Amino acid sequence: MERDNKQDGMSRRDFLKITASVGVGLAIGASGMAAVGKALSPAQPAAAGAEDEKNERIALYGEHQPGIVTPQQTYMYLASFKITAADKLAVIRLFRDWTKFADLSMAGGTMRTGDNPLLPPSDTGETLDLPASRLTVTFGFGPTFFRLDGQDRFGIASKQPQFLKDIPRMPRERLDPLLSGGDVCVQVCAEDQQVAFHAVRNFIRLSTGSATVNWLQEGFISGGSGGQTPRNLFGFKDGTANSLHQTPDGYRDVVWAGADEPDWMQGGTYMAYRKVRMLLEVWDRSSLADQEDTFGRYKESGAAYGKKDEFDHADPSTMPVGAHVRLAKESKQLIHRRGFSYTDGVDPRTGNVNAGLLFVSFQRNPEEQFIPMLKLMQSKDALNEYAMHIASGMFACPGGLREGQYIGQNILES
Amino acid sequence: MNRQIKVASVILAAALVLGACAKSNDKSNNEQPATAVQTQQNESASADNSAIREGTLKVQEETKKLQEAIEKQDTDEVKRLSKSINDAWLAFENSVRQTFPLEYTEVEKYEMPIFSASAYDKIDFAALKVTAEKLQGALENLLNAKQTTGNTSELLAKAVANYKLYVEEQAEQLAIQTKVFVEAVKAGDFEKAKLEYVKARVFFENIEPIAESFGDLDPRIDARLADVEDESEWTGFHRIEKALWLDKSLVGMDQYADQLVKDTEELRDKIKSIELEPTAMVAGAMELLNEAAISKITGEEEIYSHTDLVDFAANVDGSKNVYLAIIPALNEKNPGLADQLDKQFQLLEQTLSKHQTNGLFVTYDKLTTEQIREISDQISQLSNLMSQTASIL
Repeated sequence: MERDNKQDGMSRRDFLKITASVGVGLAIGASGMAAVGKALSPAQPAAAGAEDEKNERIALYGEHQPGIVTPQQTYMYLASFKITAADKLAVIRLFRDWTKFADLSMAGGTMRTGDNPLLPPSDTGETLDLPASRLTVTFGFGPTFFRLDGQDRFGIASKQPQFLKDIPRMPRERLDPLLSGGDVCVQVCAEDQQVAFHAVRNFIRLSTGSATVNWLQEGFISGGSGGQTPRNLFGFKDGTANSLHQTPDGYRDVVWAGADEPDWMQGGTYMAYRKVRMLLEVWDRSSLADQEDTFGRYKESGAAYGKKDEFDHADPSTMPVGAHVRLAKESKQLIHRRGFSYTDGVDPRTGNVNAGLLFVSFQRNPEEQFIPMLKLMQSKDALNEYAMHIASGMFACPGGLREGQYIGQNILES
Repeated sequence: MNRQIKVASVILAAALVLGACAKSNDKSNNEQPATAVQTQQNESASADNSAIREGTLKVQEETKKLQEAIEKQDTDEVKRLSKSINDAWLAFENSVRQTFPLEYTEVEKYEMPIFSASAYDKIDFAALKVTAEKLQGALENLLNAKQTTGNTSELLAKAVANYKLYVEEQAEQLAIQTKVFVEAVKAGDFEKAKLEYVKARVFFENIEPIAESFGDLDPRIDARLADVEDESEWTGFHRIEKALWLDKSLVGMDQYADQLVKDTEELRDKIKSIELEPTAMVAGAMELLNEAAISKITGEEEIYSHTDLVDFAANVDGSKNVYLAIIPALNEKNPGLADQLDKQFQLLEQTLSKHQTNGLFVTYDKLTTEQIREISDQISQLSNLMSQTASIL
């Protein structure tokens, strides 16, 4: 492994040269594909102030996984996998390959693209000339990873963290089981959609033979990386309340799992996911007053009713009963929201655009922070008239990795 | 798929491979009158691997009992023994594959259909008797086997020669079976035509990439409606498939039927003269799996008869025959890959067998999304592995 100053600002091309010189092994991996090549040393922590740079590298290693409190990138893919391998060793091989590839691609590298012209290239190649683009990869494990149909298939049932359960049935939801849940969830975010897709595509490739992708969601959101609150497809700011906890202490109280959780959850968190279809056409025909009453905020400024600025303290009593923000405040809970918008073609029957929100939130205790809030909203939220929940998932995201560790190692190997 | 036909094709193909081996092994083959004698003779010949030897003797013993049960037409006993032969073979087949790859391929070809027979309600004793005899012969060859030596290019040349024999045999069977199918079509016998259609398709799908190398011969035989620019120029199997299953009328089909016989005979004749290269053979195995993974698993190949699983299994089988042919070369260069391929073929074959009743595949429309996905995931992994076989070239 080399660690030299040239790594800063290194292009993918430079990276390839170095990777080649270190001698990347082309062994047949568990997947049958050429195994992921050895990654270079992790990227140096990004220099202060460099986070605006859309090309920057973000470190995989650290106390927490990246992509949780990382300032939100513009593009996101969320992939859910079902483990098909029956034996634990195959799962370990997959997670090792995934971790190596996460390390490599977050640093802006690629697997090899061709030594033997008769074999398929290890890497798909579409990022060869592209920068790291603030790529992050975040792994989470669903309840079925620990126990499937009552079976402790990998001998890890005792490691299941206390709040890792499917989100219970909610009123008005219309969940599609084929788009919900999963053994493993991989969230890939980047400032460049091609870089993000390259990563998720190769995660899927590497999983062949050991896991199979259940569903894949594609999201986008603009304006989050500059520290502003991004807007959702209803045109309202989404996630203003994140500002209330965005300090190390705040994250400890809101996001990071408690000391009573298993070792592997230290520095980890719970990821709640809901796919929320938004009825854009109905919304767009609603008056501005109706729209603002629905949220309890002003559309342009994002300020709460009766206030001037987005971050002015909100007073729920000034908002209409059933207003989205009022209910959120009444639940008296904080969650760390990191959602993305999605579009998904046109409903051929109505001509309506399929679009909405890939709601993602991170919290230390979903049973206290998230589920009561969700229940309240599903029963009373004025937004329900314009939105419906169509998919759901709860995943436990382990703490960050040390160099040399692979994701899930302290679940599978201790 | 009709099992008997499949068995028959395997037997014929393997017989040819066997024939090829026999030439180089004339001596040992000529002096094998009885099992007991043979066993004694070989005690010193190839006793360097006693596990293989013991295993082979055990399978021989079980096969002998099977032959007796076949004579008595004892269904229960035949089924029991088919399973125990398989168990005995699986216990040591890995080391056979590594040490005696050519002999392994022979045994595998007869052992598999015998094991399959244990799953059927009705046993075809006549067919099974032939297979059991062939298995005994293959086991004898295994006892006599000498460790294969040779450099990779020799091993590959041998692989190509063996595979070429397989291809020729499939083409021969295709021409024969197409004639049977066409006769039923021309006689207006729907029921028989439908059955024979499925049987003929197997031989074509086994060697599809080879057929594709002959310009417009492949589209004339195998084009789907979606493939042709002008519907009036559409000919071949799928044209008649539509008449049988959708139009339910064979009026006007005679011209297509006659043309199909001519075309499959032309294919058979052309195949005899082709020079096959190792790269083309290995690429063909990939093409077969890609075919299966793209048009068969989606139900787009047999849109009227829904017999896509038959074609799927035939593609996999065709690809497996390439794998079997290249085992000696794989052992030389990438033995781990041979292990993985072996396991993955077994897994996929097991999965496919769940969708068969008495040797006939269920139609595609009977499969649930989950079942299709299971097959698809398994063929993806198989394709991944197969794509690495080019490392032997």
